[in-house]
Amino acid sequence: MPSLYVHVPFCFQKCDYCAFYSHSLIDSPKDLISVYLEGLEIEMAKMQKDAPQGVSSLFVGGGTPTVLKETDLERLLKMIQRYFSMGLGVEQTMEGNPGTITDEKAKLIRSHGINRFSLGIQSFNDQLLSAVGRIHTAKQAREAIRRLREAGFKNLNLDLMFGLPGQTMDLWQASLEEALSYSPEHLSLYGLMLEEETPLYERYAGKTRGEKGESREVRGTVLEVDLLPDGDLQAEMYEWAVMRLRQGGYRQYETSNFARPGYECQHNLGYWRGADYIGLGPGGVSCLNRVRWKNIEEVHAYENLLRKGQSPLDELGKEVLSLRECMAERMILGLRLEEGVNFKTFEKDFGADLRDIYRSVLERYKNEDVFIIVKGDYLCLNPKYAFVANSILQEFV
Amino acid sequence: MAQASQRIRNFSIIAHIDHGKSTLADRLIEYTGALSKREMEAQVLDSMDLERERGITIKLQAVRLNYQAHDGKIYELNLIDTPGHVDFTYEVSRSLAACEGALLVVDAVQGIEAQTLANVYLALDNNLELISVINKIDLPSAEPERVKQEIEDVIGLDASEAILASAKTGVGIEEILERIVAMVPPPKGDDEAPLKALIFDSKFDAYKGAISYVRIVEGRVTKGTTMKMMSSGKTFEVTEVGVFAPSMRIVEELRAGQVGFICASIKNVKDTQVGDTITDADNPADKALPGYRKATPMVFCGLYPVEASDYNRLRDSLEKLHLNDASLIFEPETSIALGFGFRCGFLGLLHMEIIQERLEREYDLNLITTAPSVIYKVTTLKGEVLNIDNPSNLPTVDQIVSIEEPIVIATILVPSEYVGAIMELNQEKRGTYSAMDYVSKSRVKLIYELPLSEIVFDYFDQLKSRTKGYASLDYELSGYKETDLVKIDVLLNGEMVDALSFIVHRAKSYNRGRKLVEKLRGIIPRQMFEIPIQSVIGNKVIARETVNAMRKDVLSKCYGGDISRKRKLLEKQKAGKKRMKQVGSVEIPQDAFMAVLQIED
Repeated sequence: MPSLYVHVPFCFQKCDYCAFYSHSLIDSPKDLISVYLEGLEIEMAKMQKDAPQGVSSLFVGGGTPTVLKETDLERLLKMIQRYFSMGLGVEQTMEGNPGTITDEKAKLIRSHGINRFSLGIQSFNDQLLSAVGRIHTAKQAREAIRRLREAGFKNLNLDLMFGLPGQTMDLWQASLEEALSYSPEHLSLYGLMLEEETPLYERYAGKTRGEKGESREVRGTVLEVDLLPDGDLQAEMYEWAVMRLRQGGYRQYETSNFARPGYECQHNLGYWRGADYIGLGPGGVSCLNRVRWKNIEEVHAYENLLRKGQSPLDELGKEVLSLRECMAERMILGLRLEEGVNFKTFEKDFGADLRDIYRSVLERYKNEDVFIIVKGDYLCLNPKYAFVANSILQEFV
Repeated sequence: MAQASQRIRNFSIIAHIDHGKSTLADRLIEYTGALSKREMEAQVLDSMDLERERGITIKLQAVRLNYQAHDGKIYELNLIDTPGHVDFTYEVSRSLAACEGALLVVDAVQGIEAQTLANVYLALDNNLELISVINKIDLPSAEPERVKQEIEDVIGLDASEAILASAKTGVGIEEILERIVAMVPPPKGDDEAPLKALIFDSKFDAYKGAISYVRIVEGRVTKGTTMKMMSSGKTFEVTEVGVFAPSMRIVEELRAGQVGFICASIKNVKDTQVGDTITDADNPADKALPGYRKATPMVFCGLYPVEASDYNRLRDSLEKLHLNDASLIFEPETSIALGFGFRCGFLGLLHMEIIQERLEREYDLNLITTAPSVIYKVTTLKGEVLNIDNPSNLPTVDQIVSIEEPIVIATILVPSEYVGAIMELNQEKRGTYSAMDYVSKSRVKLIYELPLSEIVFDYFDQLKSRTKGYASLDYELSGYKETDLVKIDVLLNGEMVDALSFIVHRAKSYNRGRKLVEKLRGIIPRQMFEIPIQSVIGNKVIARETVNAMRKDVLSKCYGGDISRKRKLLEKQKAGKKRMKQVGSVEIPQDAFMAVLQIED
């Protein structure tokens, strides 16, 4: 069974580091959300008519789903429940920005089947938040956590970012400690990546503090927002966090994801284990039986095609994956997981033993320290190298 | 017969690199109507892309211009182009030997440069009639009077008659043509005498074989002549003769005084060496024309394919380039670090760069070039004298009695305010002062003896930067001299990388050893583990740096909508890594092997 992702391509305002497709509500026409919902409803109906499909998990992401006003949110959630009946045990996540979560919305979301909430905190420092164009404050973040708990969310994820402009080790530690004080079931820690064509890239490309391990000001709370922490400092922040969360009883089950036992995100595990997925909404990406496609992003065009009974997919975004590419993806995604890649599943899915396919790579990396470890039926990356994984992962593509 | 050669004028153009030689040649061709404007684009003297880009002529060419002079007669003007760089001095001397006159083109702003001066001397050696042309007079900063004075002071030519021209705007072109007709003597040469043809260039053609570009000095040659190379005694049957008008046009015969080409199904350009004399095997000349010598490479480097599987392609490409360029030599060599490749010899640094670039561009090869070296003469305990063109082949210290290195005589022309800077530079470069002359009120000619290895090592760049680009340099090999030299080896992660070894004067060894490891530390990217870099002399470590282990190289998130993009990102990263050379467990970027050239003393 594939998983289901529903894309909500709206934000109050785009963050400076974000390269995803999303409309800023500030400069969108009022009826754009209605147009979107119209289109989405047709897409869901069409899908269930053409090829009825059960789903293993739900993730409503964006963008910022919670930027929708209550009536729109309700319409969206009801629509999902109508076309995809999911049992009680099925993980259903929605993500949101602390600045957009009211008591009413929290309750509404919880009462329509959503049982996991992922909150984009990023930092509990207002200066750092504004340095990357986040619309919310630390205070709003604290309130949002309280509201979500009060609405009955028992599975809460907090997103935090490190490597923000001006961030020091002390500031990072303070944010993570505060996050821990709310006892979230799940934490995602992302190192800031400079994506091309984002305002942050324009501002910071090439401006990191320290080069090649030269002395850097790691400590202290002085903000130098004109400089980005370099790779070494990011690595130190990451390593500290991994250690701290282990002490706090969280399991690092993926490069950037930590959970209390039993609270691993099932939806995302599906991606990393190579399961099929369906992505609905403008810009949504689906991958079924080695064919990957993407819906067109522009909301009006998306709705228009659907209304005319046509497929909303973007021809340029269609990709028929070769067996080799599929294997490569299985490896680069699977090795992000603590558990690693399962030999048996690999053999079942691709008809070949991964130890034969990647023999030369495995032998090379076995000789040099232990970058790659075999554990039972699994091949996994030595966690020591998680933060430099690309050098190893690129051997599989 | 004699009447016909009275209307031939053979000339070339002497000019510094950017003093407008090519533009002037283009203008002369255009004026005499040898080519239409449209054809000019495709044809013309600088036919390689590289030459156009660099604004220099590498491979000489010739062109025949028919010009109706003011006296009403039509003259055959043969322009023989010369390469404008110190690496190709010998080629220049041969093309000058094929002429009776030369245009001395001097930039109205820059004045005379060392290169020009060197070529003027070559022209005077060949008894050429010189016509001074002051070019670029259209520029606002032009100073024709000062330049005239300089021509008189430096060269001793009467410059009162110098033609003021602008190849760009066309000013003075007609006057130049008239002056060539009036001043350049017609070729002498008896066309009834035994054949003597001077080869001033050769070119390989896939259909015709090696084509000799010649000046017929005496006698005549037609299709069917059995020709003989006087240096080697090899004979060939002439299949066609022709002229450059400006593209190759077959004619009945070439005779004394004329410039043209000879094809004889010659398989290898090595058999048509520049400077050699062609004669008629059935009626041979008793003596060859003077001045022939084999082209001798002065600078050597290793060329290795990044991908070992490209080895054969590299060999084939070098062979193809060699077809057209007998001065390029290469032989297989093996490096522990780099695997199988070739040690290649070049006339000089520019020649080396050109060959490298052509291999990469025209033959699409991904190459590693090692730092250039000169040939050292090493006397061993056994009494042998070894020619060492690759530092890693230097015998161990206990086997060496002495090492000699090549020395050049360098002529530097520079505005007088930079004399101090040049002296300082030459001091650093182990130069020996030999003479200084004021060639004009504001310009000085300095003569130094310098080790060739120091010229190979960053000399040009230093010369330019220390004189704001005003100094010009010419040099020729003068001999060998015993020097106190040592070899520096480089260890990466404890393993010696033979391709990084270099030979240096003992007094400079510590400094260069230290600077090199510093430089390498900046070039070698961080990897999964720490990499110590050491430079050593024998077993003694003289410097050490460390490339710290990489700490961050990760995709922080990767979810459904993003997987293809992230996979492609890794593919791209992998492709970037492929351009590096894996030596032991360390990945080394290509430019690391040239790093020794980028350090300052």
